[in-house]
Parts: sequence; C-alpha cells; structure tokens
Amino acid sequence: MLELSDLHARVTPEDGPPRDIIKGLSLDVPAGEVHAIMGPNGSGKSTLSYILAGKHGYEVTGGAARFDGEDLLALEPEERAARGLFLSFQYPSEIAGVPVMTFVRAAMNAQRKTRGEAEVSAPEFLKLSRAAAAKLRIPEDMLRRPLNVGFSGGEKKRIEIYQMLMLRPRFMILDETDSGLDIDALKVVAEGVNELRAPDRAMLVITHYQRLLDYIRPDRVHVLSGGRIVRSGGPDLALALEKSGYDSIADGA
Amino acid sequence: MRLEDLPSRRHEAWKWSDLRAAVSDRAEMLNGAGPVGPEGPVAALAQAMGDGYGPVAVDIAASGDTLENRFTEGDAGSYGSITVRSGVTANLIERISVSGSRLRPWLPAYTRIEIEPGASLRRIIFQDNRLSNGQADEAVVLNEAVVRMGHGATYQQFVLAEGARFSRFETSVSVEGEGAVVQLAAVYMASAKRHVDLTSRVSHLEPGATVRQVVKGAVRRGGRSVFQGKFLVSKQAQKTDAEMAHNVLLLEEGAEVFAKPELEIYADDVACAHGNTAGQLDENAIFYLRQRGLQEAEARAMITRSFLIEAIPDWMGRELHDEIERRIDSWLGARA
Repeated sequence: MLELSDLHARVTPEDGPPRDIIKGLSLDVPAGEVHAIMGPNGSGKSTLSYILAGKHGYEVTGGAARFDGEDLLALEPEERAARGLFLSFQYPSEIAGVPVMTFVRAAMNAQRKTRGEAEVSAPEFLKLSRAAAAKLRIPEDMLRRPLNVGFSGGEKKRIEIYQMLMLRPRFMILDETDSGLDIDALKVVAEGVNELRAPDRAMLVITHYQRLLDYIRPDRVHVLSGGRIVRSGGPDLALALEKSGYDSIADGA
Repeated sequence: MRLEDLPSRRHEAWKWSDLRAAVSDRAEMLNGAGPVGPEGPVAALAQAMGDGYGPVAVDIAASGDTLENRFTEGDAGSYGSITVRSGVTANLIERISVSGSRLRPWLPAYTRIEIEPGASLRRIIFQDNRLSNGQADEAVVLNEAVVRMGHGATYQQFVLAEGARFSRFETSVSVEGEGAVVQLAAVYMASAKRHVDLTSRVSHLEPGATVRQVVKGAVRRGGRSVFQGKFLVSKQAQKTDAEMAHNVLLLEEGAEVFAKPELEIYADDVACAHGNTAGQLDENAIFYLRQRGLQEAEARAMITRSFLIEAIPDWMGRELHDEIERRIDSWLGARA
C-alpha cells in the first residue's frame, strides 16, 4: 500500500540552512498491516510523517514514495488526504471560531468533493459523529467548541482520533499519539484506532515509547536512527528496545 | 473650503492618510463647504454635504432605543449630536454602504456624543464595499465621533470596515467622570485599491477607567491600512486600566500596513499596555487544514476568518454577530 524506496529528504528551517534528515529510508507497509516506527529523538520520525503528508519546507532529494502505486510526492497535501492518507499530528493546530463538528464536516465534504462524491447529509453526519464521540468518550459539548482552542494535550489527541474515525482514512500515520495521554485515555484512543484496522487499511505508528504498542499491536516494528531504518522485526523488537535502549540497536546496525 | 484646507501627509495625524491627495481630482465638491472650524475638516464636510440628514440633535432618554443611520446614496453627509441621558442604555448603528448611482461619492459623518453619568451606548458601524459598479473604489468615507463620558458611563464601539478609495474612522473619547468603561473593537479588511484608517484617542481625565481596545485586520495585495491608537492618561487619572491591541495579517506580498500605538501617561498608579503585530498566516495551521482535505485557498480563508472574528466583542448580539461573520466570509470568498 505504501512503498518507500531509498528516500532522502532535507528540511529547510525558516531561520537556518537546509539539513539532511532522511538518508536512504526504505519501507513497505502492505494493506492490512500496522507498522511501528520507533527511534530516539532527532532520528527523523516526525520528518518522515511530514514528508508523507506533504508539508511545505520538507524537500525530498532522492528516492520514491508510492501510495497504491501512485507517486505520492507529486500530490498536494489535500490530494493525499482525499486519497485516504491521514496524519494524526503530534501538535495539532488551534483554530479559533470553528467548532470541531463544523470543521470535520467541512473536511469531510472537501475530501468527498475532490473524490467526486456527494456531500454528507446532516443526519448521516450526526449519526457518525455520535458514534465516534461515544467510542472515544468525548462529551458532545466539546465538539461544539472551537477546534483545539484551550484543549489539553490529551483532549487534542482524542479529537485527532475523533477526526480519524469520522474521515475513515485508508492509511493512517499516528505521530507520537501517546504523548500527553494518561493510561486510561491511552486505552480509549487505542480502541478508536483499532476500530479502523481492516484488510484494506494500513497504519504507521510513530512513537518513542513502547507503551502505545501494548494497545495497538503492530505487525512489524522498525527502528529509525540517523535517517535510516537500522533494524526491523516483529512486535518483540519493541520490547527488546524498551529493555536495552536505542543505543544498543543503533550500534548493532 | 479649498483643497489646501484639507489635511495632507504633512499633518502628523494624517501622515499615512493623505486626504488632500486622495481627493485632489474632485476638489469641485469642496465649493459648497464652509471654512474648516475648530471641529476640523470632517465636521465641515459633513455639515456641507448633510442635506436631508442634519444637522440633527438626538436626545435618547429611554433605554433600549436603537438609532439607525444609513448612508447609502452619495453624497450623504451627517452632522449631528447624540446625548444619552443619565442611566439610559442605547444603541447606535451606522450603515455605510455605497450602492447609489453617484460616481465618486463622498460620505462624511461627524457625530458628537455625550454619555451622561451611568448611561451606556453601544455604537456599531458597518462599512462595506459590495458594489456592482466599482464606486467603492472611488468613494471617500469619513467618519468621526467625539465622545464625552460622565461618571460610571459605558461606551462600546465596534467598527467593521472594508475600506474605500479613502476611508477613515476616527474616534476621540474623553473620560470626564470616574470609573468609565470604554471598549473599542474593530475588524477591517482591505483589498486592492482600498484604504482603511482607524484612528482613536482615549483621553483619561478622571480616575478608575477601564479601557479595552482590540483591532484586527487583514490586508491583501494593493490594500493599505492605518492604525493610530493613543491613550492619554492625565495626572489625576489614577487606577486607569487600559489595554490596546492591534493585530493585522498581511495576506499577500504588496499589502501595506502603518501602525502607531501610543501611550502617554502622566499618572503613576495605572496599568496600561499595548501590543501591535503584523504577520502572515501560520503555515503550520494551513498545513493542518490541508492535511484534513481542505484546499489551500479554503484553509487560508478559514484561518483568516478565525483570526478576525476574535475581535468581535462578546456584547454583540447573535444577529449582528452572524451578519459580521457573513461579511467576513463574503470578503474572504471574493478573490481580489
């Protein structure tokens, strides 16, 4: 479903020279699978998620990224979204004056329009929203508040997963979704994520800690270090990392 | 009145809004106007062009009254005064919308407002440029109010301005009684060929006033905005609590903004602050919205809207609030 081959990328910060962050990354995530990417801070985890979602300022200098066989890198961010790519942000933006539900409906309709589909009807939307909110234990009044404005870190993550349940993407990237969540919230969020596991969907779970993977069981675990995948394995690799730390793995590569 | 009687960029208070230059090609309109008196040029023009409107003197003695002034046909001036009697709460709505057939219209208004002790006035100005034939590109909109406030009086003002060839909204508030409350808010939007000037001055002559000023704007290529805000706190105006904020988004290259926030304080026990920012849209927020599927233009409009509506005051009623949002949306939807 998602194939990355020998990807190289650089980031140009507004106030500095370009830096090479991704240095020859290859990864294949087939439909139906959940892959975890683990790595120390600064290994390029968030950069990878931004490149896949198409953020401005993240320049791919080599290699290829294909999504369902299509050149992902040639698409605008909104085109990627309409094709079913969803990034759950580590730091979601706050949008004053736009209630959560109003925003999600606008996003849903924008995606449908790009795909040439009809707009969602009000009753259909409400039904979906109620189900998603109940699943994630989000109070209804929160959905009428401006998107992420004044929300705690945990609430923002929950609202990210709410949006994911509503938009029902085909490929999900969860960027440090566990940060800011206590254990109860983590379980609720993981339940929401797991609902979207399906043979025609896939997921990339980016995390620093193994904890999230207790609740979202990955099929494969990859260790990212210095802009490359230095080791891949089954779910046990995450446990081994937790025990012995990243240094031992990175050194052994 | 002659062209030379109008203020130009050589006058400090008009340095970024050169009225003389803006109307130099239509000086014939000045022939009917009398000389500029102590009330200034806007008053003189408003008086001369106020046929059918003024001078008027309105006395508001009952609470809940809403006075509505419409300026739609050029040339429509208004020169008058309003007194809000002690303890009375009233509303004043001014709608300035150029929709008549007159080419190059002038719309000058000058209002003296007196708010007596314990009285309260909400003043709302809507100025738009929804036009079929481009008159707003040529309109000259001048709106000046001089407000005097008594003990415990409240003055709340909101301006929504879309600009014109030349537009200036000037408010001078003089706090002449203890414990007054002043709230000045504005949203302005300037697209190409539009000039929007928001000038205000709050003079504190008595103690204990609370002042909040929030002005937000968005400017497109070829548009120009001016913000001049001044708080003057005299020596006896202790315990004055005043905050001024002007924040503007420059949406495109070639947008211009000129801002001068000023505090002049002679009292020693006061809390006064001002903030002024001019920036661009947050690229992270744009990316966030695009990641959810919104087109780039939609994302930009949504963030601009979200920025502007924060200046709509809490006291605005639902209906007017919706109207303001609709106008913002319509401005954002109209590609310059």
